[in-house]
Amino acid sequence: MTAQALELRNLRKSFGKTEIIRGVELAIEKGRIHAVIGPNGAGKSTLYNLITGLHPVTSGRILLNGADITDKPPYEIARRGLSRSFQVTNIFPRMSVLENIRCAMLWDLGYRYSFWHFVGRRRDLAERCGEIMEQIGLASRRDVPAGLLSYSDQRALEIAITLASGADVILLDEPTAGMSRSETEQAVALIRKISQGRTLVIVEHDMGVVFDLAETISVLVYGEIIASGPPAEIRANPAVREAYLGPEAA
Amino acid sequence: MAGLARRSGIWLAALGVVLVLPWIFSSGFAITTLNQMGVLIIFSLAYNMLLGQGGMLSFGHAVYFGLAGYSVAHVLNGIGAGTLPYVPVSLLPLVGGLVGLLFGIPIGFVSTRRAGTVFAMISLGFAEMMTALTLILVVFFNGEEGVQTDRWAGPEPFGITYGPDVQVYYLIAAWCLLATLAMYALTRTPFGRMTNAVRDNPERVQFVGYSTHRVRWLAFVLSSFFAGMAGALHALNVEHVGFETVGVGQSGLVLFMVWIGGARAFIGPIFGAVVIAFLNSNLSGITEAWLLYLGIIFMTVVMFAQGGLSGLILMHEPIWKTDLKLFRPMVLPYAAGIGATIVACLGAIGLIELIYFMSTKSTRDTGTSLYTVPVDAATALPWLVCAGVAALGAAACRRAYRPMAASYADAIETVKAGAAR
Repeated sequence: MTAQALELRNLRKSFGKTEIIRGVELAIEKGRIHAVIGPNGAGKSTLYNLITGLHPVTSGRILLNGADITDKPPYEIARRGLSRSFQVTNIFPRMSVLENIRCAMLWDLGYRYSFWHFVGRRRDLAERCGEIMEQIGLASRRDVPAGLLSYSDQRALEIAITLASGADVILLDEPTAGMSRSETEQAVALIRKISQGRTLVIVEHDMGVVFDLAETISVLVYGEIIASGPPAEIRANPAVREAYLGPEAA
Repeated sequence: MAGLARRSGIWLAALGVVLVLPWIFSSGFAITTLNQMGVLIIFSLAYNMLLGQGGMLSFGHAVYFGLAGYSVAHVLNGIGAGTLPYVPVSLLPLVGGLVGLLFGIPIGFVSTRRAGTVFAMISLGFAEMMTALTLILVVFFNGEEGVQTDRWAGPEPFGITYGPDVQVYYLIAAWCLLATLAMYALTRTPFGRMTNAVRDNPERVQFVGYSTHRVRWLAFVLSSFFAGMAGALHALNVEHVGFETVGVGQSGLVLFMVWIGGARAFIGPIFGAVVIAFLNSNLSGITEAWLLYLGIIFMTVVMFAQGGLSGLILMHEPIWKTDLKLFRPMVLPYAAGIGATIVACLGAIGLIELIYFMSTKSTRDTGTSLYTVPVDAATALPWLVCAGVAALGAAACRRAYRPMAASYADAIETVKAGAAR
């Protein structure tokens, strides 16, 4: 088995004539928290959409735990143990918190398209739902329709859904976007908690969060990775400073 | 044990109601209406698996209803003529269901890749195609005449001949209960919950490992099965299947029923089917303008009560669950609002009837009757009275609706305040 949870090999993506991702090489080690940063429009979201199968790649390969997942449909990739959250909250608004979380674990627990089990009577579902809600801190809101939750609770639910599938590689897309200082602190604590035994990839704008959490940071600028390394190294890298703060700062 | 009794209580109550209904409403006319209700309940619940549960708006679900109806009519005729092996008539709804399923599999596969407009247009296409086929495939559909059949076919186990309507009633009632129970159970399975998830957010569903196409397809196929079952019972009930049962008209009717009853609650389509079947058999005898009224009811529901009749009732659920006493201050405003609505409707209906009478009756005889009062439509008096009543009612509605809404809001506020405490 390889030590890489996720590997991108010379990945390219063009929309029309514009090349958004221009030969990205990236290796993410198992069990690490890996942040991808970069200025607006660098292609971070596109990168996520390629990895998770939302968009077809133009060229290059994507490996998940050593297996090729390039251009597989999103549900196929999810079944292989890669799960993602979304920058814009992407939940099931008319269903309760419990049902939101439960839906995300049905496939992993082998229920597939079953219409001969009752979801309310399965102990394995109840147990894992309970664990996740406890971990995320949503247990008191289990029967509230997700659409009625507060913003930060919805963000937490977003992460709960992402975790519920039991995936070992988790991609978080700006998990603290739009949060207040104290909410962000809670979210960081939560992310650190869930990183136990999992590989985490985070795209984040809040540099405080990034340098606080990440063990490795990759910098994406105009569709290319210009630097990869531990936080201290990235902080000192002149090319990174230039990309973020403009040439005069470098 | 107590939990089981409570959970099955509503089903036992339904069983009780179903058993005694034909004793209370024992006239031939009433039984016919009840039979129609049973058929339409299955059909509209099946349709709501698509619309309410899965978020798929179909304009062609009668295809599976009608095709199953035709097939069962042919099977019955085959049994009667001795060309087909005997199948107990009581089990023919299953045959109908299988026919629906069989057509649902390929048609569902091609149409459920996308939801929304694409799905709706494809369903409309199939309904139009079936209507055209009824005139082309004469062997099966027999053109505009349709297929006649006789449910009194083959042996008579336990003396059940399905000759008398009341025997058909119990057949329909039994299948209706079974189908309702089955469709309700389906909503509580992994498949049922994922159907809701696909309705709410198809994008996210893919990222939790499910193919939206597969989920929709399965919902479509199961829904076609139950639609087919309803079609089979329709064929047994009226002993005739015509081209109108596979087309856009019947597809629209089921959409009407589900919407009027409310697509969001499981029980909604049952309300819709009961109301429409009742109006269909009663109103159509009283007034020729009944389709106009149906249209007006539908439009009113679409505009003012998106949750349908069940939505109007269930919006009061938090109140009765908290404290029945909260209804006390609501009684007067509600009575005023409902009373004003009735007055306005009486006036408006009078005007519609008069207009309808004048535009359809070419004879010189202008005498008709309105609310059992004989009137002469050529004179101004009935027009003035109706217009006056309508205007009075409308003015009263303007006055009465706001207090009604306010009393509801007050009660809900109290409930919320209580829940927060």
